[in-house]
Amino acid sequence: MTPSGTRRLAVNAALIVLVLMVPLVFHSRSSIVGYLNIAMLYAIATQGLNLLMGFGGLVSLGHAAFMAIGGYTAAVLVMTYHVNMFLAIVAGVAGAGLFGLVIGFPSLRLSGFYLAVATMALGSSVADVIKRLAITGGDYGLINIPVLRLGGWELTSEASKYYFFVVILVAVFLVVRNFLNSRSGRAVRAVRDSEMTASAMGVNVAAYKLITFIFAACIAGLSGALYAFTISYLHPMNFGLAFSINLLSMSIIGGLGTIIGPILGALFWVMLPLVIGGRMEFLSTVIFGLSIIGSVMFLPKGLSELVTRIQTRLKL
Amino acid sequence: MSIDIFLNLTVRGLTTGAIYALVGMGIVLILQTTNVMNFAQGDTGMFITYLAFFMITTAKVPYSLVLILAIAAGAVVGLLIERFMMRSVRSRSHLSLIMLTLGLSLLFQGLAAFLFNTEPRLFPPLVSGDPIKIGPVVLGRQDIVVLLAAIVTFGILYLFLYRTKQGAAARSISQDEYAARVLGIPTPSIYMLIWAIGSALAGLAALLIVPRFSLEPSFMGLIQVKAFTAIVLGGMGSVFGAAVGGLIIGVVENLVAYQFPAIKDSFMLIVIVIVLLVMPQGLFGKRQQRRF
Repeated sequence: MTPSGTRRLAVNAALIVLVLMVPLVFHSRSSIVGYLNIAMLYAIATQGLNLLMGFGGLVSLGHAAFMAIGGYTAAVLVMTYHVNMFLAIVAGVAGAGLFGLVIGFPSLRLSGFYLAVATMALGSSVADVIKRLAITGGDYGLINIPVLRLGGWELTSEASKYYFFVVILVAVFLVVRNFLNSRSGRAVRAVRDSEMTASAMGVNVAAYKLITFIFAACIAGLSGALYAFTISYLHPMNFGLAFSINLLSMSIIGGLGTIIGPILGALFWVMLPLVIGGRMEFLSTVIFGLSIIGSVMFLPKGLSELVTRIQTRLKL
Repeated sequence: MSIDIFLNLTVRGLTTGAIYALVGMGIVLILQTTNVMNFAQGDTGMFITYLAFFMITTAKVPYSLVLILAIAAGAVVGLLIERFMMRSVRSRSHLSLIMLTLGLSLLFQGLAAFLFNTEPRLFPPLVSGDPIKIGPVVLGRQDIVVLLAAIVTFGILYLFLYRTKQGAAARSISQDEYAARVLGIPTPSIYMLIWAIGSALAGLAALLIVPRFSLEPSFMGLIQVKAFTAIVLGGMGSVFGAAVGGLIIGVVENLVAYQFPAIKDSFMLIVIVIVLLVMPQGLFGKRQQRRF
């Protein structure tokens, strides 16, 4: 093994140990682990958006709607119809995927900001429809959603959720990475770079755009379903245009079109207000705005570009 | 629905539509020439309105002067955005440009909330007094001002675009930026001019609109979404389309809200998706749209 290979292995091992140690270190301050859990859920949803925008070149300003559909479907199935929680989550993912198909159709005819406006409109109307329905709790939101249960094992403590989400996060990221390295993934990226070239090479552009949308929606739906059972509270206002833009911001700050970008972006997004402190909440919005501008202008790959630079500097 | 109610709803819808038209015209002007969909349009105006609020209430500056200052401030903000942000990333993808304006919008919202806190404030209207009755229709004075402002703005923009050298240059850039440069049009300064005018419009629009709502960091959010739908309805290509699209949306929305209050927010959004799918050129756009 080369020296840099050994060093890389050592750093990776250290990272893994660090990730696993977090709940033990913050044992007495479980709220920090709780925030990390939220960051991981956001990272999952953002990975979907990253797949769509960073690798598929498709804009979505309604991504929060997928999360809302996943979350509400799963929560309503469990609470009203007493469906098994695992099946409910699967149904939530499927529901979001179905809606991804619906939103995906405009993408076949529209691009650029036409698509941005269409997804913005569809995304905002989902929140509005949820607000009007009785089964979703309407404007009061859905409260007392049961906590996550796997078989006979209830995930009540933040630490247990943490380990569960780490597993899910890694699984989702591996699936996305392998998808992108597969034949289909190359086709998706080809469609992003040039639709005409892609179709000349025999890529079914329409089919791959739809697949990308459905895939991204499913991932967001999974995040939404897990979110519902973690927070135990859903409100349509939390899934409006503002949250879609937040997700977008996370993926930009983390780095569009990179695999680790969503984690970095979500961590930055969730942790910065904590670091700054409660009273300065809006200062973090200012910093978010500046970070977006900064990453577009100077770091097109966002925070992950910083990570790459550090890696090259340390010759990892 | 009696004819009186119908008339009232329609006219009130027109005044709401004038709001969307005012915001929409600024967005479309920038979009058409510089190819940037400015998500910060609303919040640029929002931030300027905060400054104006303190000038009026704390510094007791006369309203008319504040109005002029707001327009000037908008123009300066537009110049700065174009000169120091857009120019260096112009060659990047449209996605980057959109994200840049989203970042700006967050920046303005955060600054406003951080500096002035989020509690809603009442902004004094330009003209106050009892509503005016015209036949069966009752109209607030500020609403009439907004309606007139939309018409005057449209007139000025039309004259600018079709009767001045700079306007012709801006239109030529929107047709073919490369050809315009080849023909010796100074595209950088035209871009700066357009950003200045567009953002000045943002300042004016926000200041005229805000008395109808209350001044808070997020008050332009929904209005901007509606302005986008107005632009789409009008075909994305023309200031005229944005103006008429805004008015139509205002009226239809008001009528729908009266008959079917449950779907008032979603109705126009769904309509817009259908418009995009069935006739992406909108009502007044040319069939041959720029492809992105």
